[in-house]
Amino acid sequence: MKVEFINPFVQAVTEVLESELGTAPERGIIGLQRSAYTSNEVTAVVAVAGEVAGMVMFAMTAKTAQGMVSKMLGQDFPEFDALAQSGIAEIGNVITGRAAVLLSEAGYPSDLAPPMLLIGKNTMISTLDVQRLVIPMETEFGSIEVQVALKLSGTAAKRAAA
Amino acid sequence: MAKVMVVDDAAFMRMRACKVLQENGHETVQAENGLEAVKQYAAHHPDAVLMDITMPEMDGLAALKEIRKMDPNARVAMVTAMGQQAIVMEALKAGAKDFVLKPFQPDRVLNALQKLLAS
Repeated sequence: MKVEFINPFVQAVTEVLESELGTAPERGIIGLQRSAYTSNEVTAVVAVAGEVAGMVMFAMTAKTAQGMVSKMLGQDFPEFDALAQSGIAEIGNVITGRAAVLLSEAGYPSDLAPPMLLIGKNTMISTLDVQRLVIPMETEFGSIEVQVALKLSGTAAKRAAA
Repeated sequence: MAKVMVVDDAAFMRMRACKVLQENGHETVQAENGLEAVKQYAAHHPDAVLMDITMPEMDGLAALKEIRKMDPNARVAMVTAMGQQAIVMEALKAGAKDFVLKPFQPDRVLNALQKLLAS
């Protein structure tokens, strides 16, 4: 995991959550993990391809997800239904999109795949040999853990190897 | 009061924009991709269009061009993630009147609509 990948994601997640939720989230201690990710109740997954490749995950409880989409739409979501799922996927998409722009400005252009959702706790996802940057964020609706598993690809990888 | 078409592949984002527009007295039409947007434009002739850029089937830029072919006076604002300047510039050259930055802000959407309707 390159150190240049950290700030774009910290900046993106902070900016987007503050804009969407109306209050600034608090960042916890950033860490690196190599072991498999064990899913929380809701995980938005966005794949990245380009000069950096891999995936970004946004993990939270269903209660946190429902609280966030309720705030964003201004109506109560008693269940984590299809519309709420679309909202959480879109948050993941906008945060990763913002980070991708910042990465591009740093010399690592990349594209995103449409977001997906993993629903259900305790599923293990291995990112194999790619370490995950883990950014814990605390919002008024609960914790969100941003998991960034990216590596250099394409010409950026060749440049780094040269 | 205007008829506004909201084009976005994310149902939540369509719902969110439509809610804000309806609460401010506007009528809304929805489309979930560019291809559907072109069809809905022909069917409903909305006064203004809020068009996401990245969508399946047909993206927002291609849909903008098709709609402008159909109606050279179409009033379209692109909805874009922060930093997609190159695409925004291309959209403006292709006839988009304005752009709205994500993350979604109700005031930005309403301001963009006012500008579109005044154009």
